[in-house]
Amino acid sequence: MTVKIVTDSTSDITASLAHELGITVVPLVVLFGHESFLDRVDITTDEFYRRLTQENIYPTTTQPAPGAFADVYQKLLKDNDEILAIVLSSKLSGTYRSAVNAVSMVEGKGRIEVIDSLLTAMSLGLIVISAAKLASQKGITLKELSEAIKMELPRTNTIMAFDTLKFLAKGGRIGKAQGLLGSLLAVKPVLTLKDGEVAPLTRFRSMGAAADYLYNHIACMSHVEALAVEYATTPHEADVLVARLGAIYPQENIYRSVVSPVLGTYTGPNVLAISFIEGK
Amino acid sequence: MKQSNMINGPEFRDMFAAATNWLEKSASDIDALNVFPVPDGDTGTNMLLTMRSTVEEAYKVNGQSVSAVVQAMANGALMGARGNSGVILSQIWSGMAQGLSDKETFNGKDLAQALTQASETAYKGLSNPVEGTILTVMKDASKASQKQAAKNSGNVVAVLEAAVNAASESVANTPTLLPVLKEAGVVDAGGQGLFTLLDGALRYLRGEAELMRFRKPQLVASKIPMTPITVIAPEKVGADEIPFGYCTEFLLKGKDFELEKLKRKLVRRGQSLIVVGDDTTVRVHIHTIDPGSIIHFATTLGTVHSVSIRNMDEQHQDFLEMQKSRAPVADIEILAVAAGDGLSDVFTSLGVASVIPGGQTMNPSTKDILQAVNNLRSEKVIILPNNKNIIMTAEKVQVLTEKHIHVVPSRTIPQGIAALLAFDYEADFDTNTHIMTKALASIKTVEITRAVRATQFSGFSIKKKQAIGLLDGTIVAVADEPVDVLRSTLAKAGLKKAEVVTLYYGQDTEESEAQQAKEEIASKYPNLQVEVVKGGQPHYNFIGSVE
Repeated sequence: MTVKIVTDSTSDITASLAHELGITVVPLVVLFGHESFLDRVDITTDEFYRRLTQENIYPTTTQPAPGAFADVYQKLLKDNDEILAIVLSSKLSGTYRSAVNAVSMVEGKGRIEVIDSLLTAMSLGLIVISAAKLASQKGITLKELSEAIKMELPRTNTIMAFDTLKFLAKGGRIGKAQGLLGSLLAVKPVLTLKDGEVAPLTRFRSMGAAADYLYNHIACMSHVEALAVEYATTPHEADVLVARLGAIYPQENIYRSVVSPVLGTYTGPNVLAISFIEGK
Repeated sequence: MKQSNMINGPEFRDMFAAATNWLEKSASDIDALNVFPVPDGDTGTNMLLTMRSTVEEAYKVNGQSVSAVVQAMANGALMGARGNSGVILSQIWSGMAQGLSDKETFNGKDLAQALTQASETAYKGLSNPVEGTILTVMKDASKASQKQAAKNSGNVVAVLEAAVNAASESVANTPTLLPVLKEAGVVDAGGQGLFTLLDGALRYLRGEAELMRFRKPQLVASKIPMTPITVIAPEKVGADEIPFGYCTEFLLKGKDFELEKLKRKLVRRGQSLIVVGDDTTVRVHIHTIDPGSIIHFATTLGTVHSVSIRNMDEQHQDFLEMQKSRAPVADIEILAVAAGDGLSDVFTSLGVASVIPGGQTMNPSTKDILQAVNNLRSEKVIILPNNKNIIMTAEKVQVLTEKHIHVVPSRTIPQGIAALLAFDYEADFDTNTHIMTKALASIKTVEITRAVRATQFSGFSIKKKQAIGLLDGTIVAVADEPVDVLRSTLAKAGLKKAEVVTLYYGQDTEESEAQQAKEEIASKYPNLQVEVVKGGQPHYNFIGSVE
């Protein structure tokens, strides 16, 4: 019995980590006008954020076509028994629908399960990593694996400190954080995911204070199972946060990643995020 | 009223109606007895407005019973309480009502007991009663009245006389008890107000009503020698603080109109008031935030024609509408008190459900805050008073509403904003109150204003109209120009460790001045994020936060 793990590019899993853990990443698509790029494949994060901040055009995004998932399923099913696809929140993207529709295209019913994580960014990434590690255990079935992962989902989340909500509002994904728009003071909103949608947590006047909040959120947990820090354009701030978190969680085990272009379309530059699986 | 041994309800009401008129004559003198020479919560005005609401309620009572009248007065005081002195005064009235409950009439002994009850209730209402204030004056007056009543229980005038004399002594003694008064060279304003009220009631009782019309109450002089103070009438600010509104015009037809009387009735309801015409036709022009109430009032006087209500700032309204359409907070709503269109917009943009106009020199009453609370959809309301003189008024609202009220005791605008930002959307009512209260300490407040009188304070020799800088409520700098004071005040606020400085410039301050100050700070502290925001607040050239 082998189960393979599939996810989408908003999980922010780096190519080398995906390779190492045998995870297949299906990219979403980011578009600058009529130019289209496969997320993290055709465009690097550096190039994306350069264009985002320097060009006068807001990018847009689209979900992968069902065919993209179907291709992946087909290839994987040749050499493996089952597939668990874990994708970003169905409330933020149609990716889940594509992943589900693709199942019937490859006659994979019963051999493929698709989970709507209600998450994105590295909280999705951490779940996917956890699934890949479990899948490598001998003899685990798709059913067992899917049940184990569903138990972890409620303890998993991402908290993001935004420099601006401009991009989130433009992209129509602002959700319950709507009320945080239009502030006459420069504030750094801190948002999270709630029931698969963007929801507000609180606000700060400086990124430094917001980073303190991210740190404190983790420091208040009695037990942390997995931890990740992400940034868009400010690696130094991410490094500082990782070093601080090192005092409460083994620093070498903290995943460090860059927010993917598709997510960056909504977060904008300067965003700083932590993702975690809280211990039981 | 001549010397009488038994006083009934209407007589009691008339005593304090006269006392309120007596207080009105020296309200602005009492306002000037500020400890700090800053435009501050005006004690005299606040006590006067509280008393007006107190007496108004008394007139709604039919019958002769004193207990019904004083109960109505206690309710009126509670609803009309403005500022800390107003809240304490309302507690005094609540005690009086308890002391005179079940009494159809009262004599001197009853009065002494009611005054004692009033003193006790006033003390009980405060978590941290301070001596040398209105409380001490109330206590001393009630003690003296008890002593007198023991000697000669029946005579109301004798008992009240004893109370008034003791109150005067007590006011003179306040600087001995409270060092800040001594340093500022003033007697306690609230104590002075209470003395004036008791004095007015006594004079009326003695039958001096006619005489009172031509006289004016005297301020009690301090027992200890102090720097002479220059009493100046504070500027009337109410009208200027209406930040936006409707230009309302109409023609009023009827008969026997008295233009002066009409003007007096309308002047408090808005600004730019024009009333012209004759005794049958009057044209009225006024800028107001509530045109409905003006028109309603006008229809009670005659027929209303050619009504024109024009929104003076559509854009501003659109902005507010846009803000209203959001529902940022699920079941908790936040109310803030702020003066100035800019500050009001800042609070609204950060998600408060409603902004009550008010602040320094214009303290909203308990009723104003209660109404704002009742207008909200939510059952759980957090109030940000943003002024030390409004905290107690806000705290009084809880007893008047079924809703759950928490007051986060913000003493300044920047504190209020810091508390508001700290709001946690995932936390419950109690936790949020705790988080927000904790956030008050996270910032420093800088306020730049002009001295309303000359004084010596904290080692500074301050001339009238000089600019003064306060850091968290303490005077730390004095100079002629506000910008210079801003510079030296900020220098004492620990900018090296700060991350963000926000400057809210006032209605009489040019944006360019604020921008210039920003440039200076930014070039000196390159890592500091400096933001300039239009505050539009009266009196204060700059309000700043350092965090």
